[in-house]
Formats: sequence, C-alpha cells, structure tokens
Amino acid sequence: MELPDPDETSRRDYLRSLVAVGGTAALSACLDLTGDESGSGVPTGDPVERPARQHAWNDALGTDDDGNPRPPEHHVLVPLSLTTTPDADASDTVEAAFQSLERAYAHDPAGLLFTVGYSPAYFAQVSSEKPIPAPEAITTLESPEFDEFDAVVHFASDKAAVVMEAEQALLGETDEPNGVEMDATLEGVFERAEPRRTGFVGPGLPAEHTGLDGVPDSVPEEAPFFMGFRSGFAESQAPEERVTIQDGPYAGGTTMHVESLTLQLQTWFEQDNHFQRVSKIYSPEHGEEELAGDVGEKLGTSTGVAGEIAERTEQDARERGMVGHAQKAARARDDNGTPPLLRRDFNTVDNEVPGVHFLSLQRSIDEFVRVRQAMAGEDLAGEGVGQRLNNGILQYIFVRRRGNFLLPPREDRALLEA
Amino acid sequence: MTRHSPGRRTDRLSRRAFLAAGAAATGALAGCIGGDDEDGNGNGGNGTNGDEGDGEPSSPDVVNSSNAPTTPSVEDPPDAVYLPTHQESMEHLETVEAGEYAVMPMLTYPHKFWLVSGTEREAVTPDSTGVHLMATVWDAETGEVLPVDTGAQLRLTRDGDLVDQRAPWPMISQTMGFHFGDNVPLPEQGTYAVEFDLTPIGGDTVRKTGEFADRFTEPRTVRFEFEFDQEFQESVVNGVEYLEEDQWGDRGALEPMAGMGGMNGEMEDGAGDDDMDDGGDGNGSEGGMEMSMPFSALQPADAYLGTDLGTLASGDATFVVRYLTETRLTDGSSGYLLVSPRTPYNRVPLADTALAVEGALEGELIQTLDSELGHHYGIAGDLASDEQLDLVVESPPQVARHRGYETAFLEMPPMTVEVP
Ligand code: HEM
Ligand SMILES: [Cu+2]
Repeated sequence: MELPDPDETSRRDYLRSLVAVGGTAALSACLDLTGDESGSGVPTGDPVERPARQHAWNDALGTDDDGNPRPPEHHVLVPLSLTTTPDADASDTVEAAFQSLERAYAHDPAGLLFTVGYSPAYFAQVSSEKPIPAPEAITTLESPEFDEFDAVVHFASDKAAVVMEAEQALLGETDEPNGVEMDATLEGVFERAEPRRTGFVGPGLPAEHTGLDGVPDSVPEEAPFFMGFRSGFAESQAPEERVTIQDGPYAGGTTMHVESLTLQLQTWFEQDNHFQRVSKIYSPEHGEEELAGDVGEKLGTSTGVAGEIAERTEQDARERGMVGHAQKAARARDDNGTPPLLRRDFNTVDNEVPGVHFLSLQRSIDEFVRVRQAMAGEDLAGEGVGQRLNNGILQYIFVRRRGNFLLPPREDRALLEA
Repeated sequence: MTRHSPGRRTDRLSRRAFLAAGAAATGALAGCIGGDDEDGNGNGGNGTNGDEGDGEPSSPDVVNSSNAPTTPSVEDPPDAVYLPTHQESMEHLETVEAGEYAVMPMLTYPHKFWLVSGTEREAVTPDSTGVHLMATVWDAETGEVLPVDTGAQLRLTRDGDLVDQRAPWPMISQTMGFHFGDNVPLPEQGTYAVEFDLTPIGGDTVRKTGEFADRFTEPRTVRFEFEFDQEFQESVVNGVEYLEEDQWGDRGALEPMAGMGGMNGEMEDGAGDDDMDDGGDGNGSEGGMEMSMPFSALQPADAYLGTDLGTLASGDATFVVRYLTETRLTDGSSGYLLVSPRTPYNRVPLADTALAVEGALEGELIQTLDSELGHHYGIAGDLASDEQLDLVVESPPQVARHRGYETAFLEMPPMTVEVP
C-alpha cells in the first residue's frame, strides 16, 4: 500500500493513516515524525505491574473534563491464524512475546494497552470446550461476514507509533520496540490473517477525515465520534467487574464481540437536522428539551436515559414517532440499573469508508446479543417508527462483520488449553 | 444493461401540460449540466422549509449545480394534498427479481423531498450532482406493492469500488406511490452498479396474514446498473412537464404513473421474470410499463366487506373503517376493526402510522399486510349497534414525502366512529 503524502494531510491525520497502512515503512515514517518528542518519551514497563485481568484498562486511562474514562486514541485489531498445533512450547513462546511487549511499554495510554482474544475456531482446534458461540447475524437488517481466524490482538495507545511498532514487534517484523529487546515473537506459532482493522477516537479526530468522500464537512469540529456525539459516559458503561467472568475455567476473563459497521454520514448530517440527530442518538426528550448541546457536551457523565426515558421507549415510538439509540439500548440494563456492556468502540476509515469497529466486552456473548436486540428495536417497528426509519440510528449504520472472542485472564492468555 | 429512454412517462398530463423546454432552452441547459460553477442555487442548508425557485411562473429550466431544474413551487400550499407545479420525468430501469420480490428501479434528477419525524417535517434540498434513486418493491407472485419500511439498503459501486451505502427512505409520491428513495450524490458520470438488499419483513414491523403469513422471511439482494451521463441528465430535466398555472396548489393529486395496480392489479404474465443476470432486454417495458410496475393503490372503499363504519378524514387522509365479524384475521372468538388509511385520490397506503381506539373498543391497532385486504391496521374486539369510539392518530405516517404530500398527513386530529 502506498504511504500517504504528509504535505497533504494534517499531522494527526497523517499519523492515523500510517496506522491504517501499517508495515515497516509506515512505522519508520511515523517514528521520523514523532521521533524527537516521543522517541524517548514512551514509558517502558514491567510485566509484574500488569493487572490480572487483560481488560482492566480503566485504572490506567485518563479522564475527560467531566471525569469519564478517556479511551486511547489509536487502535489496531490484528487477526492471527495458527501455523502450528498449540503445545506447551508454543505457549511459552507466546507468553514470552507478550511479556517482551510489557517490558517495552508501560501499562498506560502513553505506553501500550493490549488484550489477546481467542475465537470459536481456536477452541474447535484445541479442546472440546465451547466457551463462546460462533458469531451469527443478530438482526433482520444484516447479512454480515464473520471472523473465522483463531485469535486477535487489540492494541491501543495514544501514540500512533506505539500501536504500529508493538504489532510489528510481536510478529517479528521489527526488533527492539521502544529500545527493548524481544525475548520471543509469535513467529512459528501465528501468522497474520484478514482483515486487519484500525481506528481512532477522540475529540477532533473524526473531523480530520472530511477529505474522504463519505465524510461530509459538516462533521462537528470537536466531535469524538463520527456521528458527532459523545459516547462512553461513565454511567452508561458496565464496570469492569460486571463484564468479568466470575467462575469456571475462564474466571477473571471476559468475552469480546467486534461488530464492524459502515456509516452513512451524508444523510445523517445533511438531511436530518440537529433536533432529529439528538433525538435519534439519545432520545426524543433530549431533542425537545435541548439536553445535549452540540456534541453532547451538556451531558457530564450520564445521558440520563436509564429509568424513565428508557421505560418510555415504546410510548415515544407511538406518540413521538421517534426513539433514541441510547434510550433503546438502556432498556437492556440490569434490574439494578447497571449496564451489562463495556463499550470500547472506535471510529475507522479502513478501506476509505467511514465506519465504527464496535468492540464490546461482556460477561457472556448472550448478553451482547440481548442488548443488541434491544438496540435494534424490532419490537418497536411498525407503528410510529419503521424497521430503520426514526428507530434510533439504524437508518445510518450497516453491519459488515461480526466476531466473538474469549479474553482469558492474563495468566492464561498464551494459547490457553494448549 | 438495457437503456430505456425516459419517454415512458404517462402522458396523461400532457393534454393539460406544456413542455417548457424548447430547443433554445435545451441548448442553454446542456451548457449548465455538469458545470462546476456553484451558483448558490444548490442550497443544501438544513432547517428550512424554504423552496427553491421564487414561485414565479416563469418558464424555468435553468439547472443549478445539482442538475435539479429550478422549478417554481407553490407558494402557500394548503395543509392538504395539492397539485404541484410540475410533474417529474424519470427513467425506469428493467424490473429485477430475487426470490419472492420484484423491484423496479427508477432514476430522476435529485429533487426536494421531506423527512418526517413524529409531526416534524424536515426539507431535504439537493446540493450536489447525482440522482434521485428510487425503487418500488412488490410481491412477484401477486404484484402487490409491499408498502412498509422493511429496512432496505443499497450499495452503489463503480468499477467495483464502493461509492455509497445507504438505507433509502420509505417515501410516498403522488405519481409513484410508496417506494424507497433518496438523493444520491454521484461524483462523476459513468456506469454505476447497485446492490439493493431486501430484508425480511419482520412480524414485529407488520403482521402478515392470509397467504402472506409465512412469506417474505428471507433476505434477498437484487442487482442492477445504470448510466449516469449527460444524456440521462438532459432527458430527465427536459422531460419535466408543467401543469397549467391556475391549477398549481389546487387540492388534488397527479395521477399515478403506472396503471392502478395494487391488490387486484394484474401483472402481465411473465412480465419482469427475465433472469436478472442475463442483462438482456427481456421485459418489454417499452410501452408496456403499465403492466410491469404495479402502483401501491389500495382497494376503493366500497370494495371492503363488513359493516361500514364510515369513510373518515383526518389531516386530509382518508380512513376506510370496517367492522368484520366473519374473518380469519382473528381467532374467531371476536370481531375485527379494520382501519385503512390512504391518501385521497390515489389511495396510497399510509404506512408506519400509530393508531389507537378509545371508547367502545380500546387499544392499539396493529399494522397488518393481508394478501386479500392489503395494508391496514386492525384490532380484535366486539362492537354493538349504537356504540361509539374515537380513532386516535398517535403518530402520523412516518414516511418521507414527495412534493404535494408534505403538508398533508401531519396534524391529524382524532375521528369519531359510530357503529350503525
Ligand atoms: C455507529 C455505531 C454507534 C454509535 C455512533 C453509538 C453511539 C452511542 C451514543 C452516542 C450513546 C450515548 C452515550 C453513552 O451512553 O455513552 C450510546 C449508548 C449506548 N450504545 Fe451505542 N452507538 C453505536 C453502536 C452501538 C451498538 C452496535 C451497540 C450494541 C449493542 C450499542 C450499544 C449501546 C449501549 C448499550 C449504550 C448505553 C445505553 C445505556 O445508557 O444503558 N451502540 N451509543
Ligand atoms: Cu422518492
């Protein structure tokens, strides 16, 4: 793939596009660019300081002005296929490789956060256990492709150079990430599979992509996500404990679902008006009462949809002809008001098309399916809202792909069951 | 792909219409089409209901940067179905079939339409070159148009590259009835391929009854191609036909383009059943369009059986109300209240409306698609002579509107139904 031209893009956009391109040439271009400030600035780490749960990121994350966890800016999902039959030796190699990365980078968004997950295809090869189901279509609106590779590594960092370098170091494509030697790599055990996915999240990042055909100039300057609104408020996210498997062989782990979506931003920003957008993303109440502001800045740490607004969803469909995405999804909260999903989704322009890699952690895949069905709101369609029309954001999102993974606790992350 | 000229419009109107574009105008037009100069006409702003054009009945056909002719519009339309100033022309592509579905894709220039959310309306004004892409979807077996938001989506590619992906809006138009459509910006002229996904008609969206009960459960994709070129752009713009000025804004509607098909609409045997892959000129739409595209018309009021509870009106929609005692639409233990809201004049079904009754019978009506009675809303229950109930429109039809329908079916006061 060709490297982007640095003169034609903003610096952050250039970094993002290097992550998307990947490869050693992109990495050295990235290091050239960030070298003087981050070459020495990326903190190294110590494997013993990593938490027991791979998904325990929240303590390491910074917060925004309101106190919501701030997700890392750059993300890569690297799919892997086994090239050998897993055994104890292979497992040792894999663990040594991961620990090398943990020495090279601190457990911090300024360093590297990562998780390793295994797919149903992996378990079919190594054990008779089926801890997670194969992915399936969840709604009537989709005919997705499915992730069929064996494992996936999710890399996240505020530094574009770090996610690229870590990925390449793990696969033996570069030596000495952040100046630290790799004791082992995945070579001989895993090779790259398809599709590699990349993305970004943070205020201002989506608006840097208005050069693409599918990204209109009207994407708000300060929006953290493509659809223009803040998401991931602390109050609507499951605590890490809530998504952690409590007992059995995978206790301390979690499950991950990755849903890749394409977005239609032109109709969203240029046909709908702000009132409709706010109503469709949060709730009609948010639209009418102007509760959200331009990009959700008025909302603090909570959308306030849980409880009364969520309970009124069906009534809003009938009487206001419109329901909000968050409002619908909040119907699937636990009885005590706790949200069951920990959403770590990010924006993407993979294949030059705006989209979202909706990455969600939950105790079991069933819980994802249940919430996703609440979000699809098929029960609401027909009288007042359509199967897509005015039914949250369904008019603008298109499911392309789904994958299910088990994220074991850190101590079992290297070829578990092998 | 076979190219059909857009000459296959009904010419019902041509008697009372005049063709505005003379040779001179056409020449001027050609110079404008595809030109890059932003002339400010392509107002893409949100939040207004302002019309393009100044409402002056001049001879129009100056195109703006989006290739939309700057047609005059009715200045102060009634809150009712009204006659616009002109009738659009469009290109009909060949009917394509997949599984149980038949689809006719149609193209015209990007034009203004209105989204509806609740009782709010939002104008969509074209602001870039492209097409208004539409598709009418019907049951290949019975020819009945499937008039509800089934969540269809399309992917547009050029030379294999994705150009656009969107869920076209469910919308209603006087001449085309219920269809899916949107203004789709096209970066440049060329051949475009479309994959149009039809999603199953979920039982939650619409209760399917009669022979439809177990049908439309499989997702299907139809594929077609179209040419976006100067010839197309000119022909759809030149084909615009104007109504006599003294009719503009009058209550009334343009006539449907195809023959009134619908429930009893006959599909010419074999029409549209040519293999979608052969790309051949199988389906003789030429001149035979009336047969090949059914129009989403419901039966006239007097065709419905049961006790006549009246033909009511609200928001300029017509509501046919019947009480059925002998019907397969209930489990047999009670009667059935059938309510069929439709547009006046053309009897286009009004989908995704929230209706409820209060009084002698109370509850929410369920949107239903029956193989014989067509699209309607219904509730099981018993009614006796002299009883009275209110028919309440909780939300007006949530479908986008072409011109002439945008001011109607929004404010819809309750109606009183009396059992004779
Ligand atoms: C393009 C895709 C999506 C966008 C732009 C989006 C955006 C949002 C926004 C703005 C909120 C409200 C802010 C917040 O509560 O943090 C929200 C909430 C939520 N979304 Fe999404 N979302 C998307 C896809 C999904 C998907 C695929 C799911 C799958 C189940 C989902 C599940 C949820 C849940 C569970 C909530 C919280 C509801 C609660 O308060 O309990 N979202 N989303
Ligand atoms: Cu249309």
